Amino acid sequence: MSVLQAQGLGKIYSSKGNVAYKALEDIELKLEAGEFVGVMGPSGSGKTTLLNLLSTIDRPTSGQIEINGVNPSKLTDKKLALFRRRELGFVFQDFNLLDTLSIKENIILPLVLEGMAPKKILEKLNPLAELLQITPILEKRTYEVSGGQKQRAAIARAIIHQPSLVLADELTGNLDSKSAKDVMDSLKDMNERFKATVLMVTHDPFSASYCQRIVFIKDGKFFSEIRKGTNRQAFFQQILDALSVLGGNFDDVPFARA
Amino acid sequence: MTFRSLALSNIRGNRRSYSAFFLSSVFSVMIFYIYAAFLYHPDVESGFIMAASKIRKGMEFCEYIIVIFSFLFVLYSNSAFLKTRQQEFGLFSLFGMTRAQLRKLVLYENAAIATLAVAVGLGLGTLFSKLFFMALGVLLKLEEPIPFALPLKAIGITAGGFFALFMIISIWTALRIGRTEIVDLLKAARKPKGQLVFSRWLVFVAAGCLIAAYGMAFFMNSDTFVVLSLPILITVVAGTYFLFTQLSILVLTFIQKKSAVYYKRTNMIVFAQLGYKIRDNARILFIVSILSAVVMTALGTVYILQIGSKQSLLASSPFTLAYSEKGLNTHEVIDQAELKRIVTEDGFKITKEAKAVSIVISRYAIQWDDEEYREFDSDAVIISATEYNKLAEMTGQPSILPENGKLTLAQSNYGRVIRNYKGYVKGDINGKNKEFEISSVVDTKVMNSMQNNYYTFVMDDFSYVKLVSGIPEDQWNVIYGFELSNWEKSAPTAEKLKNLVPEELQPQIDFRRASDLANMNETVSLTLFIGMFISLLFFIASGSMIYFKLYTELQEDQAQFKALSRIGMTKNEMRKIVVTQVGIVFFVPVVVGILHALFAMKALDNMMDSSNWIYSFVVIGIYIAMQTIYFLVACSSYMKTMLRGATA
Repeated sequence: MSVLQAQGLGKIYSSKGNVAYKALEDIELKLEAGEFVGVMGPSGSGKTTLLNLLSTIDRPTSGQIEINGVNPSKLTDKKLALFRRRELGFVFQDFNLLDTLSIKENIILPLVLEGMAPKKILEKLNPLAELLQITPILEKRTYEVSGGQKQRAAIARAIIHQPSLVLADELTGNLDSKSAKDVMDSLKDMNERFKATVLMVTHDPFSASYCQRIVFIKDGKFFSEIRKGTNRQAFFQQILDALSVLGGNFDDVPFARA
Repeated sequence: MTFRSLALSNIRGNRRSYSAFFLSSVFSVMIFYIYAAFLYHPDVESGFIMAASKIRKGMEFCEYIIVIFSFLFVLYSNSAFLKTRQQEFGLFSLFGMTRAQLRKLVLYENAAIATLAVAVGLGLGTLFSKLFFMALGVLLKLEEPIPFALPLKAIGITAGGFFALFMIISIWTALRIGRTEIVDLLKAARKPKGQLVFSRWLVFVAAGCLIAAYGMAFFMNSDTFVVLSLPILITVVAGTYFLFTQLSILVLTFIQKKSAVYYKRTNMIVFAQLGYKIRDNARILFIVSILSAVVMTALGTVYILQIGSKQSLLASSPFTLAYSEKGLNTHEVIDQAELKRIVTEDGFKITKEAKAVSIVISRYAIQWDDEEYREFDSDAVIISATEYNKLAEMTGQPSILPENGKLTLAQSNYGRVIRNYKGYVKGDINGKNKEFEISSVVDTKVMNSMQNNYYTFVMDDFSYVKLVSGIPEDQWNVIYGFELSNWEKSAPTAEKLKNLVPEELQPQIDFRRASDLANMNETVSLTLFIGMFISLLFFIASGSMIYFKLYTELQEDQAQFKALSRIGMTKNEMRKIVVTQVGIVFFVPVVVGILHALFAMKALDNMMDSSNWIYSFVVIGIYIAMQTIYFLVACSSYMKTMLRGATA
């Protein structure tokens, strides 16, 4: 069963007095349930635009998206927000945790907004926190914990309400290599144990090597696609090769571990 | 780009956060100028408008209040602005702007705003001064309107004074910038919020202070006023301060532990953020609460005093027109037919008419218990129980039944002084010295005070008939009383009647009630009118402080809402959160202020021995309505920018 289906997706930015700019053109993308897919591309290739379209916070100018059988562009603003809340989970590069809430409160936010009973919320939270090894920091505030812990908390928040699709945007971009590995291991774990479907945008080859499949885009168009064999190390090499073919500038995120 | 244009564009860029401050400054300049324009009005200065002397002192006092208040307000606003712009200053320093240049920039900005505020304030003041004069003319009952004028002295004092005030404060604040490291300046905005903490002790202090203050206010009366008023003031101020800094945090922590409430949809975000909002704004909320309490209590007090004095006026003069006369049918004071004709001619109806016969005791002396006889210079009267009860019924007071052969003293506010109502009165009645026993005192007054009825003694009918039979009719003292419909407006008629009374008999009449009331009302309405502007100034300034605080946190809040919108929070939910938060910040100080004011008015009621809650509620209602309007305006503009930022 496909969770995400995008056909002929295009986005043209145009404003008065400016030349129209084609950010995305004719992208086809299909994700099966439980898949872990990466999207890679050089700076300005349209990764963020694609993610914004898939996150339903921006609308495509051509083509259509279907997530779990629903076309989000046909929904009203309010229904769209509710759709994001129920069907999607987000992990951002800059965490986007609220610093007025504790880690625990940040994680359970989607369930609280849905009006779930406090007891049920805890039933969902505890095993998840255990798995992500963040139980000891649940009562802490966001500024008291490390970046890796924050990002694992964000993963917990993205997954606690069992969304159809988890969207991750450069989630290791702000982390050192050790934390990045922990976070990617956690995400992989979630993907395997809970059968969460994950779409990750990145330009870090190491993080990308956790995916089962990687889609490369360049200048807003589909470029190539590679699939993982059995070995992650080999896949990593494969990604580097593909990137060298792709060319372009990959330096817009500083690599702490370059 | 010159230095000056940089300063100007800084103002333009920050205009949203400047706007409320600017508006309050304009308003204080305007009010100050309007008062000054009256005080330095050529006709007032030359003494041409006589009535002006009544309000000059009060207005001068208000001018001082405005200056002191503006000074504190501008000082606070200025330092608050600079704090919010630390990051900007850090950036300027990073690009190599020297400290002196930075100060110059701040001075330029402030000078521009000060000039604009003074100019606009003076302009609006000039525009509205005529309106103010017209209202004042009505309240002072001036024959001719106060002409429009542009007193140069008023303009000079206002412009010079306020410009100096603004500049002194901005020099003072400018000198304080630039002492911090650039790194800290740049980081200023990104400081983490920290933990919400409260001290158990201070919570106890807060609760204790408030309970003590309210308790004392509740039981305070005129006897304990001197002892209790200062402790109440101190405990209220301290209690309110700790209420916002400590007790509020305790309450929120308690709510956060109640998972059934806390984990209910948007509540979590509301309460979590509220804690920080209240902690970060505790001082403002405290100041606004105290200001609200002061404004409401002051307005309430003026009115309660007015009502109280009207009641005491009615109690001390039961009839609009009253006079006493020697002899049953002499009519030497005024011709009754003539009186009635004039009253009717002026459009009044006589609703009650009283005539009571009494006997004068002259050179009387009273003795209570074992004390010595106290002699009085004035005359007193003895009246029969039937006559007294007739008057009592007319004025709505209980009838009495004096002991046989003994007297009852009917005198308001007398009972408090005498512990034991046993005494004697002696004096001359128709040239013969007599002595009577006084068996009781009643706290009533059935007739206006005139020359010879300073004390009224009531005697049982039987003894009275015996007493009066030996006295000729032309020696009787006859008391007349007339109550008019619509008496509040009868002052001119009373004046006309008074002129008909021969000069030497003037002490025997009391036609003053209507004019006394008019004088009282005039004083009260003038006080209210002048005080209203000061109240309005307080109100606008306190609202603008809250408004400004909201805007300084706007960016942070925008970032939060952006994150929330991404993970699927609907616009309605965001709206709900914003309205609740802004609402609480706007209305909590009002509620606290109202509570303070209610207890203050309760204390006032105790002291005045009266109860006038309706008016208190009217004042409070107006205050709530005005704050609601302010809230709606602030909330909708805040929401607009917030939603625009969050969905962008």
